[in-house]
Amino acid sequence: MKRISIWMIIMCLILLPTSCMEWDYGLVEDFDVSASGRGLFVCNEGNFQYGNATLSYYDPAARTVENEVFYRANGMKLGDVAQSMVIRDGIGWVVVNNSHVIFAIDINTFKEVGRITNLTSPRYIHFVSDEKAYVTQIWDNRIFIINPKRYEITGYIQVPGMEMESGSTEQMVQYGKYVYVNCWSYQNRIIKIDTETDRVVDELIVGIQPTSLVMDKNHKLWTVTDGGYEGSPYGHEVPSLYRIDAETFQVERQFKFNFGDAPSEVQLNADRDKLYWLNDDVWEMDVEAKELPTRPFLPYQGTLYYGLSICPHTGDVYVADAIDYVQQGMVYRYSRDREPIDSFYVGIIPGSFCWK
Amino acid sequence: MYRIVCFLIMTLLADATCMAQGAKEKLTRFGEVTVFARRPMKEIGIQQTRFDSLALKENIALSMADVLTYNSSVFVKNYGRATLSTVAFRGTSPSHTQVTWNGMRINNPMLGMTDFSAIPSYFIDNASLLHGTSSVNETGGGLGGAVKMSTAPLNRHGFGLQYIQGVGSFKTFDEFLRINYGSGRWQLSTRAVLSTSPNDYKYRNHDKKENIYDEDMNIVGQYYPVERNRSGAFRDFHLLQEVYYNSGRGDRLGLNAWYMSSNRELSMLTTDYGDELDFDNRQREETFRGILSWNHIGHGWTMASNAGYVHTWMAYDYKRDVGNGIMAHMTRSRSLINTIYAQAEGNYYIGNKWLFTGNLSVYQHLVESRDKNVIMQDGNLGIVGYQKGRMEMAGSFSAKWQPSERLGMSVVLREEMFGTEWSPIIPALFIDGVITRHGNIMAKASVSRNFRFPSLNDLYFLPGGNPNLRKERGWTYDLGVSFAISNGRKYSISGSANWFDSHISDWIIWLPTAKGFFSPKNIKDVHAHGVELQSKMDALLGKQWNLGINATYSWTPSINEGEPMSAADQSVGKQLPYVPEHSASLTARLTWRQWTLLYKWCYYSERFTMSSNDISLTGKLPPYYMSNLTVEKQFAFKWADMNVKGCVNNLFNEEYLSVLSRPMPGINFEIFLGISLR
Repeated sequence: MKRISIWMIIMCLILLPTSCMEWDYGLVEDFDVSASGRGLFVCNEGNFQYGNATLSYYDPAARTVENEVFYRANGMKLGDVAQSMVIRDGIGWVVVNNSHVIFAIDINTFKEVGRITNLTSPRYIHFVSDEKAYVTQIWDNRIFIINPKRYEITGYIQVPGMEMESGSTEQMVQYGKYVYVNCWSYQNRIIKIDTETDRVVDELIVGIQPTSLVMDKNHKLWTVTDGGYEGSPYGHEVPSLYRIDAETFQVERQFKFNFGDAPSEVQLNADRDKLYWLNDDVWEMDVEAKELPTRPFLPYQGTLYYGLSICPHTGDVYVADAIDYVQQGMVYRYSRDREPIDSFYVGIIPGSFCWK
Repeated sequence: MYRIVCFLIMTLLADATCMAQGAKEKLTRFGEVTVFARRPMKEIGIQQTRFDSLALKENIALSMADVLTYNSSVFVKNYGRATLSTVAFRGTSPSHTQVTWNGMRINNPMLGMTDFSAIPSYFIDNASLLHGTSSVNETGGGLGGAVKMSTAPLNRHGFGLQYIQGVGSFKTFDEFLRINYGSGRWQLSTRAVLSTSPNDYKYRNHDKKENIYDEDMNIVGQYYPVERNRSGAFRDFHLLQEVYYNSGRGDRLGLNAWYMSSNRELSMLTTDYGDELDFDNRQREETFRGILSWNHIGHGWTMASNAGYVHTWMAYDYKRDVGNGIMAHMTRSRSLINTIYAQAEGNYYIGNKWLFTGNLSVYQHLVESRDKNVIMQDGNLGIVGYQKGRMEMAGSFSAKWQPSERLGMSVVLREEMFGTEWSPIIPALFIDGVITRHGNIMAKASVSRNFRFPSLNDLYFLPGGNPNLRKERGWTYDLGVSFAISNGRKYSISGSANWFDSHISDWIIWLPTAKGFFSPKNIKDVHAHGVELQSKMDALLGKQWNLGINATYSWTPSINEGEPMSAADQSVGKQLPYVPEHSASLTARLTWRQWTLLYKWCYYSERFTMSSNDISLTGKLPPYYMSNLTVEKQFAFKWADMNVKGCVNNLFNEEYLSVLSRPMPGINFEIFLGISLR
């Protein structure tokens, strides 16, 4: 018995000192991708409430990808739900939705150069000038006005007809002095903001839940609605693609999908004369077309495509597959002739792209 | 302030009395007694882990999540004290562990799971884990197993009063009061627990850096900030009223009424750059659980029936300061659950070789979810949510046969109905046998089929609920061996080794849709298997020295064996996220006279955060060991027993995470002072 007790005590003593957790904090890598010229940033949303959003960088010429570049370059996490990114004057602005922050990074070294904090739930950023940008939000009925030079919130644009809880403003495009914004979650509007007064001056009712917004070479706005969902108190209808004249702010044409479809991610090619979107498959349509195409550009491959981008230089089509949403997603690259060119793993839930 | 004064007065009182009277020999002990006799027929072939009262009543600050962490090899996923604590039992998901309280299933019918942080261990008098197949005796749906908890009468005569107060780090206060009365026929007890804390522990935030800017807003320096846990305050109150009546003629009546009121902030992530004063993220819950029970013990038969009611109101509010201190709702979610429950059970013995048991239970759930308020297209207010009712019936019949003292066999047939859908017959077969009396070596084996019906949110939540979901289904096989040796009062050692193998099909997972919300689907086939080891030792080391050690270890590969979702899917053949492959726990208790030294330790191996088990910077959580130490001194007086207890949690001040971006507290302390009037 004595021997057993001694062994038990020895076992406890062995366990005591082994109370260390391995961490690999603080490691920082130096990047310089200025020589590669063109490049593609992929915002990987990560899982909501887990703070595992990441940023990937793809070199289309070398066909190489670097993942977690923000973490590796800065020694800290990007945050929770990386929503979108834009580049202006060599600075990348990464909007991290549930971290209430926008990071400004050097697009060649990926090092942080500044940040704007304490936003409500930022979705997209649009630069009006060097010293003024708008940041749209979800769960807030205000669009934030920021000074990118000072990394400060300088004001708000109150959006009429919305309360905080049902607030949702999304993507922005500018025509002249007006910025147009699609209002998505439990909304059905495109709003028009005068950038001189920072006020909403007009709105246009479209279908239920317009998900994205672009402007083609003819200054026509394009938005696609998802039609809501079954059981929604806001309604459930046939989704549509809308063409809106930016000058008159009127719907010129409505292209109806089938009931139950879920179109999203409207994108334009470099010449802004072809539209692309996701609706199970990847679809392509000329901006002058009178009807929706009947055959997809890239057929559905048994998985839910989550992100879409067209290379502004080559017209190559990049489509993101989030697979099961808890593993590294895959980005497929196709030529404008539908030929597969490359594929590469990125981070969890690749949702948006940004071209350098 | 009042509580601090009370605490100081009690401390001084204890010290003064101690010096005046000196230590006395009398102690109140809760130790488990191992009896080597004919084993109960109800436990034929059962694999279970019993938690003794020493573990359950260790201190008033503990929840059942803590008890499971340090006394079993179940993986408890939590974000710190008073935060959602769910379990992965044998590598399964939280909703695969069924939880009963005094026979009534208390899994949330909307979510399917149970929050173990909301169950104070001081309210539980008996608790055990039923591993895998063994849960079929108790309830269906336990693809991982079941946690069975109950209360019991004190069986003391006269009035009794127990009061314990704890004061700990981060301005944490815990208070426990029990008033009881017992007579020949009646046993009454009232228990209350109140725990409050700002819970604002400090930690080094390695996920974020603070910037130092020059006048032109150029970054000239960065550092990892030391932050406090932001927005993590809690206030939990529990009240339990028990009334027991024993007719003396074989009838026992019981009433258990448990009320809980919880107000918890939800801590900000390490990667949150919001100002904590500008956001309020809070969850509140009011729950009442009541059970009326009747038991009758006849000659060779017993009968029992229960009737119960559960009412739960839950609120989640996420607010933001929009200026001038006005907090506007970003999210306002409410859910309401009303459950009526009835159960009847009968046991019939034929001699001492046969036992037949029949059980029928009925639950009627009425739930309402109001998840979001929206302004509709016509300008009126609309609510995103659902209202549903579901009846759940379960019936089981078992026959247990013990042809000799060395051999036992048991067959269980169970049938369940949720809504209008019936499960196929759920069979379970158990067998055990004493291999040799030397060392009481016993072998056990069991096999069962099992099903878990989708939760109400799985089916109806708006948006995303999927009414076309199928039941999750599985087969589980268990094989184990156990031993128990004893040398009178000198020592006793027992242990068990168990192998299990589970195949679960149609595993339900919530996945995003093209419309931006999540929706559940039957996706995965999972193969969970592994080995569970347990050992327990109690030894009398010297005249007044006692040593008790309890150790567990689990190896639980839980592998996704489903079809790949696309050609790029790397998750097939990989361990499920947040399920450690190895886990272990140890508690060692050394007592000398009225002194007790308790050391608790647990270990979890690396947890992957991605289904592909990718080893990236955010793809894994490192393994960690956790150690807690408690020193206790008891004082026995003519009029009362008192004790003073000091606890050190996270003894080695480890920086660790149980979940990504959720830092856990470093070393922290709590002192408890207790008094029990005689």
